[in-house]
Amino acid sequence: MADMKTNRHILLHAVLVCFTVLALYPVFWVLALSFSGQQSVGLIDLPNDPSFFERFRAILPVPAHWSVSNFTEVWTEQSFGRWLWNSVIISLMTTVLGVFLACTAAYAFSRFRFPGRDTGMLMFLVSQMFPGTLMLIPLFIIIVKQLELGNTYIGLVIVYATTAIPFCVWMLKGYFDTIPYDIEESAIIDGASRLTIFWRIILPLAKPAIAITALFSFMTAWNEFILASVFMESEANYTAPVGLRFFVGGFSSQWGYFAAGSVIVSLPVVVLFLQLQKYLISGLTAGSVK
Amino acid sequence: MKLPAYLKRTAFWGLGISLLITLALSAWLFRAGVNELQLQQRHRIAVMHANALSLAISSTDVEETAKRVREIQKFDPGIESLIVVKGTQLVASTNAADSAPRQLKRDEKPLYDLSNLLRTARETNRGEGVVRNKTIWVEENKPGHIQVSLPYLLNGEFAGIVQMRFNLLQPAMNIRLEDSGALPILIFFGALLVGGFLKPTSERRMDPAKLMAIAAFLLSALFYQQQRLDRLEQVWVNGNRVVAANYLETAEQYDRAGYLPLVRDPASANLWDTDHYQRPLELIAADGSSTDTEYGAKAADRTSFIKPILWAIDILGIGILLLIIFGYAERMYAAFKQHIYAYVYIAPAMIGMFVLVFFPFAYGIALAFTDTTLFNESLPFQERLIGLANFKAILGDFNLYERTADGIIWNYANFYWTLFITVLWTVSNVFIGVTVGFLLAMALNTEGLRGKAIYRVLLILPWAIPNYITALVWRGMFHPQFGVINQVLQMFGLEPVKWFDGVVSSFITGVATNGWLSFPFMMVVILGALQSIPRDMYEAAEVEGANRWQRLRFITLPLLKPTLIPAIVLSVVWTFNMFNIIFLVSGGEPAGANEILVTKAYKLAFENYQYAYAAAYSTVIFIILLAYGVFQTRVSKATESF
Amino acid sequence: MGTIQRILVAAVLFAGMTIGKAQATELVLWHAYRGAEKATIEKVAKLYESKMAGKAKVTTLAIPYDAYADKISASIPRGKGPDVFIYAQDRLGGWVESGKTVEPIGFYMDDATHKQFLPGMLDAMTYKGTIYGLPLNYKSITLIYNKALVKTPPKNTTELVKIAKALTDANSGRYGLAYWYTNFYFHAALMNAFGGRVFDQDGKLVLNSPETVASIKQMMKWYKQDGIMPTEPSETLVSSMFNEGKVGMVFNGPWYIGEISPNIDYGLAVLPVVDEAGKKPMRPWLTIEGAYVSASSKQKEAAYDFVAFLASEEAGLLLSLEGRQLHTNAAIYNDKRVASDRILKAFHDQLSSAEPMPNRAEMTMVWSPVTTAMNKVVKGNSTPEAALREAAAAVQESITALHKGR
Repeated sequence: MADMKTNRHILLHAVLVCFTVLALYPVFWVLALSFSGQQSVGLIDLPNDPSFFERFRAILPVPAHWSVSNFTEVWTEQSFGRWLWNSVIISLMTTVLGVFLACTAAYAFSRFRFPGRDTGMLMFLVSQMFPGTLMLIPLFIIIVKQLELGNTYIGLVIVYATTAIPFCVWMLKGYFDTIPYDIEESAIIDGASRLTIFWRIILPLAKPAIAITALFSFMTAWNEFILASVFMESEANYTAPVGLRFFVGGFSSQWGYFAAGSVIVSLPVVVLFLQLQKYLISGLTAGSVK
Repeated sequence: MKLPAYLKRTAFWGLGISLLITLALSAWLFRAGVNELQLQQRHRIAVMHANALSLAISSTDVEETAKRVREIQKFDPGIESLIVVKGTQLVASTNAADSAPRQLKRDEKPLYDLSNLLRTARETNRGEGVVRNKTIWVEENKPGHIQVSLPYLLNGEFAGIVQMRFNLLQPAMNIRLEDSGALPILIFFGALLVGGFLKPTSERRMDPAKLMAIAAFLLSALFYQQQRLDRLEQVWVNGNRVVAANYLETAEQYDRAGYLPLVRDPASANLWDTDHYQRPLELIAADGSSTDTEYGAKAADRTSFIKPILWAIDILGIGILLLIIFGYAERMYAAFKQHIYAYVYIAPAMIGMFVLVFFPFAYGIALAFTDTTLFNESLPFQERLIGLANFKAILGDFNLYERTADGIIWNYANFYWTLFITVLWTVSNVFIGVTVGFLLAMALNTEGLRGKAIYRVLLILPWAIPNYITALVWRGMFHPQFGVINQVLQMFGLEPVKWFDGVVSSFITGVATNGWLSFPFMMVVILGALQSIPRDMYEAAEVEGANRWQRLRFITLPLLKPTLIPAIVLSVVWTFNMFNIIFLVSGGEPAGANEILVTKAYKLAFENYQYAYAAAYSTVIFIILLAYGVFQTRVSKATESF
Repeated sequence: MGTIQRILVAAVLFAGMTIGKAQATELVLWHAYRGAEKATIEKVAKLYESKMAGKAKVTTLAIPYDAYADKISASIPRGKGPDVFIYAQDRLGGWVESGKTVEPIGFYMDDATHKQFLPGMLDAMTYKGTIYGLPLNYKSITLIYNKALVKTPPKNTTELVKIAKALTDANSGRYGLAYWYTNFYFHAALMNAFGGRVFDQDGKLVLNSPETVASIKQMMKWYKQDGIMPTEPSETLVSSMFNEGKVGMVFNGPWYIGEISPNIDYGLAVLPVVDEAGKKPMRPWLTIEGAYVSASSKQKEAAYDFVAFLASEEAGLLLSLEGRQLHTNAAIYNDKRVASDRILKAFHDQLSSAEPMPNRAEMTMVWSPVTTAMNKVVKGNSTPEAALREAAAAVQESITALHKGR
């Protein structure tokens, strides 16, 4: 029995490794470019009538020369560190605000039956439906003209959080729905208030979903570039994606810098995900349903 | 507290509240209408005088211009001040302190710029063969003091501009009709009286009393509105008489001064009375005559913009009435009081949503009903309104394919083709994302599997790295000669594919890239959702002898639904509007066949500058998705756990 | 647009305020530069501050190119934004037509300023007879060749094809010539050689002309018949190929110089004469960046003075030598350091046969249909005549929609 299980896992490992390598192949190209010290992707160099192995060697994403110059350039040419820090602050604020607002709303949608509930849920969905291309000017009017929140963290945080909330509400509501109501009922019988139930019972049980929505909210703010460049009025307040975009667009594109910057920018996401991972394996255990 | 019986009846309150709102809104609308008419009338008179001026000084030399300017101000007392500017020269001015003629001073730059602007407007209108730029600028910064700027000509060519300040506060120009506010009050109380006698049931079915209440509402509202409409037209007609009289008086003075002869021919056009594009309005003939009946018809035409707004007000009023007499209002209020805590939980998120999402929506949707382009976006909103024309142009174009000798040629620019591609794109992407994500999540949820954490972190990398660069890498991988994918095909002895040349292969490039980008998200969502399934359910099932497939089918899938469905619904919406990938990878190649609706809307807005048309496209996208959303929530409501 | 009285009152008030405060005028400058260009423009701003001896303070803000136009269109018409901004001429027509974005500055300009520029530069800043900005620098493509592969650059297309054929070996991915030939901007050099135009004098669309068809046929001859160019060109492909020594000659602009690998010994030359077009030279399009006074600026005169400084010889020398820009001030090309700089000189030489890209708003509608048409031709799905006819019809349709009468 034990042997069979290991065998099965070996097969599973093989499949997973294969898939992971395939999935990471484009990422390897990004890495290769970032460590090449060059600005353009290396081309496949093949002799006439190449053999299978020559072709295979050619498609391996390995730079001709290794160099970290792209990284050092990206880091030193502009105040990239400062921008990364801005991004971290803005994204974390977005995450906290978005997840908090979404949790309360999702709890109400999941646990209470009230008129306008379906419409309310639909409203959150509806907000994702209008193509964003035409939203820039009205958003500018509200945030910068009316609220005078141009050039501030909070202006961006508000916009990003509202962008992220619909998904978070829907996701959390779905998850809350799977948490059996009996747990709460017994707590109510024990005299716990709604708030206590929400805080002490529901939120801990919903950790996996909260982790996912947190990651999502973070990503929403993390990669956004156009609003950040339009709303901010001083270079010190730019975010990392804005800084990255300086390398491309217009006439010339420094793809090597962009790749190096992208690698830097994705590291915090990986770190965050590593932190959030442990919540993906907790959640409902057999004991809590009782 | 003891209330009289009629006060408890819903018909009384329903009629009272709905009529109050309807009448108040209508009264406000008509007030605004009369004000607007008056403003137009004032501007019309000012423009008339300015046109006369410009005609009188055309083709005169500097001295003669100065002389005429002074003379005209004498016999036309409405003119407060006026200046003539030609290039960088101040040619003439009625203000002696200006000591014209002289060079413009540095702080008089706006005059020079305005002169250039009007010259360009004139040339553009002629060059393009359509009239789209205003050649008369009217400003009224202080009520009654109107400033008109317009070109004057030299031998038929643009010479410079005349800027006139005109005073229109003379009582003779007042066209407002005396009105007492008694009528709406009378109607209101009359309706209330009726309402007091009606006894509708509080049930949700129609009864004669409810019908009566609706009839009373319609009768009162429509009667009042018709009366106001008639009145408005009367104001127009009166206004025209005032303009005609003023015209004749002024024209005779110009005639006497010998600057402009008065044409006494009712058939020739009046060149003074023009719109801001200097086209004759054709409301008064050159001899000053006008027919009230003809004019009345035009007045009705001019006031037609009010009617749709009236409809909206009436519908709103009826809506309120129905809400009250059918007892919905009462029940809604009771429900609100009962569930107040739920609304408090939702309020913060909802408020943010309303401010930041629904205002931009309203902006975009309103734009869709106009003909706004880059070239006319500075015009006032109501001048740009065109109703449903954009939607007709988008949805009514069935020119989907052409039959030629070589077979059928699809018209890739057609809306329905793009819609088809968009739906196909959405379905295939979501399918790939969910399937791959699900399989991976299941694999990574295997108990006792080592290295789960490493796999998970590695597999979210496609999501973590900015897609701007990964899209470029994917595009590079599909290059026919240097791309990796064709190299692999050749490794196995297959023919290389020109990926971006064919409709299908180009579509595949987009789907491959987007599928790759979106599976990590789905994987994470499903991983999280799997945690909500209690282990003991599987154990129980195993004990009862359920095999793997049965456990998947009867435990995993049903329990995933509550979290999986929101994720699917949202990714459908996102993928439908996924702009980046199409734009960066295939660019819609070949020949725009693989554009999706949102990239089309983007091109319309930012390449063709047809903002309104793009907004209409976006609105159509929105409606399609809304229909999907409503449908999906209906379907998935059945899956709610309790 | 006030009357004289109002202006005078305002002027008196303004004068009073400035005397009362005697503060430095704060100017904001927007640009989309990075690297050396950014450093130099900041240096020029500092230089201006020191010249004005505390009477002006300049704050610069760099904006990523992809967000730049959106940021301008969102901010300036709503009363926000900079006092001065730098942008190429391609958006000028659109901004003028939509209004409230760029301030006309012809009124401020004196004769000397009119005359200080290289020929054609001020035309790019002029829209329908009114000047809206001062030109700062120009870009055009030219011939860049790998000295290891090409000994002497070709003077005409016959030589070009001969040299290129010798270098081409399609099987190992080596070619004689590479440029982004399906991109209309790059193709325009060939089109202009044949005398093709996008708009005529009066702004009418004349895209579908026999000259333009001939130019596409010429391009197809190089690609298909001579086979000297790679398939599916793109910016990155051309760049990679040149850097790896897989192509002898490319047509590319000054922006590309920084991307050339240090291993490649490259030379620059004027684009060849097209023998097939009656020995007319290839005439690439000039992209001319100008400095504009923003319509929302509260201090337009001070803003103009700064713009004039940016276009001056002093700023021009800095921007050319340190910022590696090709400045528009004619005087700087007499400077020894500029004249002896082979890159600046090469692009200045190309200027003798080059012309400004149209600055009409309608131009943005041309790119995508023409690119589609060229791709169709290159992929053999259509003939040059038919593809161009279709493209012209599509562009005309968009233009008609824009030129709607009221």
